[in-house]
Amino acid sequence: MNGAQHILDAFHRHNIHTVFGYPGGCIMPLYDALVDDVGVEHVLCRHEQACALAADGFARASGRLGVCIATSGPGATNLITGVANAYMDSVPLLVITGQVASGMIGTDAFQETDILGMTLGIVKHSYLADSAEALPGIIEEAINLAREGRPGPVWIDIPKDILLSEIASPAPASQPQPAQPRPDISEALAMLRSARQPLIYSGGGVSLAGAEDSFRNFAGTSGIPGVVTLKGIGNAGRHNPGNLGMLGMHGSRAANKAVDECDLLLVIGARLDDRATGQLDGFAPNARMIHIDADAAEINKLRPADLGLRGDLKAILSAFTKALEQQPLAIEDWQARCRTWHTTAGFKAADNEEPLAPITGPAFIRQLSRIAPDNTVVACDVGQHQMWVAQHYEFDHPRHHLTSGGLGTMGFGLPAAIGAQFADRDSTVINVTGDGSFMMNAQELATIRRYNLPLKLIILDNQCLGMVRQQQELFYNNRESHINLDDNPDFVAMARAFDIPALHIERTDQIRRGIETILAYRGPMLLHVTIRRDENVWPIVKPGASNRDMIDEPRRKNTANKEHAA
Amino acid sequence: MNPQPRTAIPTYTLNCRMSQEAAALERLCQVVRVRGFRIARMSMETSGRILDIALTLEGSRPVAMLQSQLEKLHTVTSVELVSDALARSRTA
Repeated sequence: MNGAQHILDAFHRHNIHTVFGYPGGCIMPLYDALVDDVGVEHVLCRHEQACALAADGFARASGRLGVCIATSGPGATNLITGVANAYMDSVPLLVITGQVASGMIGTDAFQETDILGMTLGIVKHSYLADSAEALPGIIEEAINLAREGRPGPVWIDIPKDILLSEIASPAPASQPQPAQPRPDISEALAMLRSARQPLIYSGGGVSLAGAEDSFRNFAGTSGIPGVVTLKGIGNAGRHNPGNLGMLGMHGSRAANKAVDECDLLLVIGARLDDRATGQLDGFAPNARMIHIDADAAEINKLRPADLGLRGDLKAILSAFTKALEQQPLAIEDWQARCRTWHTTAGFKAADNEEPLAPITGPAFIRQLSRIAPDNTVVACDVGQHQMWVAQHYEFDHPRHHLTSGGLGTMGFGLPAAIGAQFADRDSTVINVTGDGSFMMNAQELATIRRYNLPLKLIILDNQCLGMVRQQQELFYNNRESHINLDDNPDFVAMARAFDIPALHIERTDQIRRGIETILAYRGPMLLHVTIRRDENVWPIVKPGASNRDMIDEPRRKNTANKEHAA
Repeated sequence: MNPQPRTAIPTYTLNCRMSQEAAALERLCQVVRVRGFRIARMSMETSGRILDIALTLEGSRPVAMLQSQLEKLHTVTSVELVSDALARSRTA
């Protein structure tokens, strides 16, 4: 068995049956081995960045390991954005690249790059296989490392000669995952019982730990109101009255108000990202903080915690639930205040009743949320549409909302949706994108067609880079700079060129029919939605400002202030 | 005009033990840099596949944050803070 065959052998032992890749010179031995392997489905994307992002989407949607493969040089460097994306959002990824032959490393050989050196800051760990005998152990360790604890991308760079070498060493025995600590929660419980206005602030760590059920049991039993990060959307389920929605820069006033007024903040699987906290000095100014996370390095990283609990979220939350079942909290007044805020200062978007009116992003997303079937996976790109999805789509599970949270990668959505569709061929998967983001990985229409994926693509087209335009309008004296995209291609014709049917809508009375048409179609279909150019995402916190200083939509400002004064 | 004294920059000494792998030292230095510290002095000894590295660092961020980030590295087996916050005043 040669090195390449050892890799495939490891895939089989770890139930890895789908990989995303693009062949080339130094990785050819692995592609040669794939010819004889019917147990691993290789998905050929049309750009290596899309391979990495598709593997990322596969992992996010399924909770399984995503795998991407590329050759050396440009193949490897093209992966970098996708791998950085996975790193920032703690997505388990195995990245395999070919490298020039061992003896050629350091000679500036054709398609040689020092990919190990280039990627040190965006991987959980990385390896340059320096001997054939070491390869089986490296593969085994890498697969385990990517998945255990706080997940992340692990990169293996393999010289071509090692892929071709016959390796006598047997496959190493699978290593059990090290048990995570189960910290004592008695002090945390005492803090919880002494609080009058406790608030849960949960993030992507909940689903990374597979702790969705434990989280909902805890939130339900405790009755503690909650806010979520962008990646925590869906943690609380679709119709949880205690869920105030997303906090932060484009969060709801209700969520930011609750954070501002709480006296105990229970941070669960979140990292106090600046987009969520705003200016840190003004964040939860009256609250003590308990920080629960699988990663010890997140605790006290940005704000000292009054108590840190590092360990398995499932076990910790279950222990909390058990204790609170025996002695519930008495926080009825606080719960009532939070419900009032949620009603008066939650996300709102009036359905535009004027049938001939232009479509607005929020109104479209609200209709989509109502019409799309349960368990639909929505993969977003980055920009205004991403925030409208976060604000107005009601997700029932965090793995149904695929969004590039940490890196904010335009071009994420389409390949991520491809990955999610491969994770579950029967699920409804929708890529909601903007006209700017769509063009960043539009070549993947060919991948959709090749595999006949029944993906639904929705482009909210405002003919500009809307989020940048919005910030230029609000914070740069409306001096628009290089955001105009009014020379976009005809997206309907473009989809049809890839043999993907498409339709265009632009009026409010066309929304329902447009959504129902693409959802009913049995194959891939694209819906091109023209929306107003001048629409902004509201509310907004100026970058670097305190969440307390949210800016409301001008015409609603007075109403909102009155609601808060009440 | 009298020169204004610059803000004192705390100095720390960390002893790190890590296993020898490709780019081990680069990985360590990258974390130190990106987390906001400057390497003032560095020495290293190897023993088989073990690297022992002594780092003298300057930085205004909490050193505990750096320690926990270094401890996360897969190849790092221990990080020991030897001298804590020896504030050093520098003048222009």
